[in-house]
This record gives sequence, structure tokens and C-alpha cells, in this order.
Amino acid sequence: MIKIEKSKFSVFIQNLVGDFTVFAPVGEGRQSAFDEVADAESVNTALQNTVQSPKSIFFPQTEVLFTYNDGDVQIPEAADKPFFLWGVRACDARSIMLVDKVFGRAKQRPDDPAFEDPYWKAKLDTAVILTLACNEPASTCFCHWTGDGPFEQAGDLWAVDVGSSYLIESLTEKGKAVLERIENASPAGKTEAAEIDSLRTQAESYLGDLVDLSELKDRMKQMWDDPAWDDIAAKCVNCGACAYACPTCHCFDVQDEGKKGKGKRIRLWDACMFPLFTKEASGHNPRGQAADRVRQRFLHKFSYYWDNYGESLCTGCGRCIYVCPVNLDIRTVVKRFLDIDAAV
Amino acid sequence: MVKMLRDTVRKLFDEKKVDMVIGWGEGTLPLSATPVFIENADEADTLIWDERCSNNLAVYLTKDKRHLVKSGKKIGIVVKGCDSRSLVLYAVENQIKRENLVVIGVTCDGVIDIKKVMKRTEGKEVLDLRIGDKDITVGGRGFETVVAKKEIISDFCLHCAHPDAPVHDLFIGQPRPANEKADVYKIVDDFEKLSADERWNSMVESYSKCVRCYACRNVCPSCYCNECFVDQNDPQWIGKSPEITDTLIFHMGRNMHVAGRCVECGACERACPADIDLLLLNKKIAKEISERFNYEAGLDIDEKPALASYCENEKQDFIMG
Ligand code: SF4
Ligand code: SF4
Ligand code: SF4
Ligand code: SF4
Repeated sequence: MIKIEKSKFSVFIQNLVGDFTVFAPVGEGRQSAFDEVADAESVNTALQNTVQSPKSIFFPQTEVLFTYNDGDVQIPEAADKPFFLWGVRACDARSIMLVDKVFGRAKQRPDDPAFEDPYWKAKLDTAVILTLACNEPASTCFCHWTGDGPFEQAGDLWAVDVGSSYLIESLTEKGKAVLERIENASPAGKTEAAEIDSLRTQAESYLGDLVDLSELKDRMKQMWDDPAWDDIAAKCVNCGACAYACPTCHCFDVQDEGKKGKGKRIRLWDACMFPLFTKEASGHNPRGQAADRVRQRFLHKFSYYWDNYGESLCTGCGRCIYVCPVNLDIRTVVKRFLDIDAAV
Repeated sequence: MVKMLRDTVRKLFDEKKVDMVIGWGEGTLPLSATPVFIENADEADTLIWDERCSNNLAVYLTKDKRHLVKSGKKIGIVVKGCDSRSLVLYAVENQIKRENLVVIGVTCDGVIDIKKVMKRTEGKEVLDLRIGDKDITVGGRGFETVVAKKEIISDFCLHCAHPDAPVHDLFIGQPRPANEKADVYKIVDDFEKLSADERWNSMVESYSKCVRCYACRNVCPSCYCNECFVDQNDPQWIGKSPEITDTLIFHMGRNMHVAGRCVECGACERACPADIDLLLLNKKIAKEISERFNYEAGLDIDEKPALASYCENEKQDFIMG
């Protein structure tokens, strides 16, 4: 583990900018997001977390899969530089790994053929992710429910903000290669380790009560046609705000844009909350009612994905709670299915 | 106020005048209230009414929630001025039977715009909120600030001429007459002074952050088409990706579809997860409708809607000679 004075932070970013496309938290409030930065000055280091999640770096809202022109098909060139992500939170680093199970190295069961999405993989395989410990989890954070924590180590590098400097540790070879580029960094010692411990204890004290989700998968499924879903869905207005903000929601639509023989095929975000999402060519919609779509969102998070990959597709980042216009709080829904006192 | 509201609702259930009451209850975050659907007198105590109650509850009578109205239930609904105007709109457009609703008006001084609060706290999370008469105290880790209400009230509310439900069956508090002096179109007047380029650039800049989640449309009481033009795919009307051209077509299409129907509640803007300024275009259209047709949406059940009637003395200057 090394120590970089914050006054040297801009040198650190500058050092990377030439060889990497550097992404970091920028912007304020609901427009805060991970975006490409050219220097350290553009980074917003005061955010608890960005409201727009970093998923768009690897899974852009719109992505051209190929262009076509009279039978000539061109696949867009991969990015020329690898990505470096500064300041991803543990929950978000984990979300990338959860989506990677679907797009990246998926082999759900031994008899399944592995599938690799080349667009996702090209970006992720070369990327270096630096996770920054959360000194101040927000009141909407519940990453401890989903098996994570504000100081959980994830990604290629792990950093802690200790006030006047950042302590950085490499977790992978890719991470190590980046650390080696840093000149004049001093090694971190025992004092720093103690500092980390006290920050961790403080951060964890900000989190609410722990809820054990191990029963949830089966509960939700057993209660598939329970009237509880109608109660939960009553206030939902079926917008896509939660799914678009969610770092793990990864459903997409594929469309052709262009005219006669010339155009592009794009992949774009979609959301199970939209009525069009499951509408079939016949006009029939298996999830025709709003409540069916609300149930789908929660079951995908806590049941279906769990069946396939052995964990929940929620990292407890709390974004959906923050953006929902009617305050439909995912924690309340979870508690209701676990019979923990909670009114929805 | 809250006690009066709860007592009134309890009485409505006791007297069997309603089967359900839609109102606001305590939310899970300090700055949010949440819609509640009450089905008996005991639940009346979950109702609240204060500056956090920002949703327009009329939305629960149409769209995916149409089954509530169709069930024939007698529904009570708690309304601010703008929400009550939505109910008038629904009656005018034959979406509800006025006599099946019990409309409970509440005195409204405007609702909180969370992004204004966040500006005041410099982005720091609000963990604690106390609402006083004139101001609101917000606190979080290591800070506490007192803010005058008018500084964190939604812009829509600051320019609202009808804060107290113009149409209601019961009223909690004393309904005040329309605020004739409200500077309703000030932002539009300022915007119109800019050059065409400046106006265009500001539109593009503002809307380019839109992620096309449609929260604005879905919380909008006036947007209740069975199938929205953006959802039509056979043929497809507009591109689905958040390219600025398609995004502007969505927003301008929506603005035109709610022309003369928008009740200026601001629910769209407060719902937006990307903080897009949605006030301006709505107000612009409302101003045009008011100046050309002398019409404001949702005030009079017997008045014909601006775009569904014709008067000989209407301005014709848009017709090119
Ligand atoms: S479901 Fe909500 S809390 Fe869970 S990962 Fe998605 S946005 Fe975060
Ligand atoms: S839960 Fe909230 S954000 Fe998600 S679709 Fe429903 S209303 Fe929109
Ligand atoms: S457009 Fe916005 S302000 Fe107008 S009625 Fe709809 S939600 Fe309210
Ligand atoms: S709510 Fe905001 S981000 Fe979503 S579609 Fe409307 S303007 Fe765009």
C-alpha cells in the first residue's frame, strides 16, 4: 500500500490520461455521473456516490453494434485506449462483476455454453478499476444486506481517503502496473492501517440495521401470486427511473436505425417497467399489468438471478430509492417479504 | 391541519361516504412523502400533509391505475390546487365521473423541490428535517441549516395562481381565492428576450442530459394515452435512444399533447432523475394558450377545452398570408 498526498492527485491523474481514458465522478446532484475527465480538477471528490451509475461506461445507453451499407457490414473499432476508473464505490465495482456474469464469462450450469459479449468484454478486460472506500455511506445505502460493505476491497486497486492523502493498494497485476507508474510515493505503514480501521468502523456505524436476505429468494417465489404485489405496485407509476439508475439492471433492446439498406444496428437500455418491454408481435403482452412488471423487477433482482448465479442482483447502492418519484423503497419491499415490520 | 385531515377522512369512512382515500403518507427519506391508499378509518392516521407531499395524486385515477375508477369504488382524494385542476381536466375529458369522487382540498403554500435543498446543503445528504411556519430546518452529518420556505419551494409553486383547490367537496383550512398577482409567466418572459440561437442552445444543453426514462411522462396526470407515441413500434414514431433530436421530439411532442391540458403542477420536473428543467416549455405553452384562447386548464368543469372549441375572435396571426 502506498500513500499519495492529495496535492499530488492531479499528477496521478495526469500520469494516466495519456495511456488511459480516465473516468471519474463529475457533476452535482442528480446529474452526477462517471464521465471522461482530462484532469483532476474536473473530478468531484465530495460526492457520496454518483446518482447516475458507472454501468454506462461498459454498457452505454446506446451502443452501435455494426453499421451496414448495401451488404457491407462494419463493426466499430474498439476503443483505442484502455479505461481507467477512479473512485468507483465497492457496491458499483461489485455491480460490474454481477453484470459480467451475464455478459462476460457466463456459464450458468455445466451444460450451458459459455457466452461472451464482445462489446462488453473488450471494454472490461483491459479496464483498470480503482475502488474508493466509502467514508460516509448515505442513508439509502444497504450494501451490508447484499454481502458487501463500504470498505470491501474490489476492482484492481483499492483506495482510502484519509483526509490529506489517499492510501492505495493494488489487488491485481493490472492494478500493480498502475501503481508502479507513480513516482515518489511513500509506503503506508502501521499508522495508516490504524487510520483505515477507525474510518471503517465509523463508516459501518452509519449503516442501518442488518437484514439477512438468505430466505428472500424462496419467499418471493412462493408469494408469486400473493396480493402483496398489488399493494406494492399500487403507487409505482412504472417509469424507468429505478432501472436506468440501477448499476445492475442490464436489459436491452436492439433496433435498426437507418433507411433502405443503409444504417446502423444499435443496442440500447430497456427496462422491465415499460409496457413495450415484453409486448409480443401478436400484440399480446405476458406482463400486461403494471403489477406484473413491478414483480418482475424484484424477482429478477432477488430470485431469478440468484437461481442462476447464486447471489442477488442488487448491491444495495440505494440509487433506486433516491430517484423513485413515489418513494417506493426497495428495502421496504424486501422487509415485507421477510415479514419484518414494514408498511409499504 | 394534519389532525383535521385525519379526522375528516375518518368521518368519511365512518359515514360510508368513501371506499378508499388516496393521500400522502410518511416516506422513508426525510424529504419524501409517499402516496398511500387508505381503505378504512383506522388507517386515516397514516395520512400526512406538508411541503413534502409533492406528487400529483390524480395520476392514480388513469393510465395503469384506471382499474380503481373502473371498480366503481367511491374514492376520496386529497388535493393541492394543481391536483384538483387535474381532476377537473379528467371530468372535462370524460375520464372520471365527478360525482364518484370526494375531493378533499388542503391549503397549499407550495411543495419542496429537493434539488433546491441540495443546493443549499452543497450536496450534503439531508438526514433530518423540521418544518416550521416560515422556514425549514435541514440537518445532516455535521451541519444544520435553516432555510426560508420560499427558497426551496418548487418554481412551479412560486408562480402558481391557484394554490388552493378551485374545485373541492371538503376543504381543510380556509380556501383562499386565486392569486391574481402571481407572476405566472415570468420565466417565459425572460426566456423570450433571448436570441433564437441562445434559446436553441439552452434547450439542447438542458435536454441533452435526459436519459429517456419517461418518469416525467409517467407522473404527469395529463399524459394518459393508452399508448404513448414514443411506445408505438409499428410503425415506430421516434428513435428510442437518447439522441438529442429524438429526445427533443419526445419532449416537444409531449408539450404539445399537454397544451391547454397541463395544470402546471411540476410533478414532471420534480420526478426527473436527471434534473432537467421541464418548467420552461410547459409554461411557454401555457402562456400561449392563455394569451390566445384566454384559457387555463382545469379550472371549470363546464368550460370547453381550449383546443376543442373555436371562437371567431381568436387570434389568427399564426396563419401566414
Ligand atoms: S436495485 Fe436499487 S439498490 Fe439494488 S443495485 Fe439496483 S439501484 Fe442499487
Ligand atoms: S419503483 Fe419508482 S422509479 Fe421504479 S418504476 Fe416504480 S415509480 Fe418509477
Ligand atoms: S406536464 Fe408536468 S406540470 Fe404539466 S400537468 Fe404534466 S406533470 Fe404537471
Ligand atoms: S424524467 Fe427527466 S430523464 Fe426521464 S425522460 Fe423525463 S426529462 Fe428525461
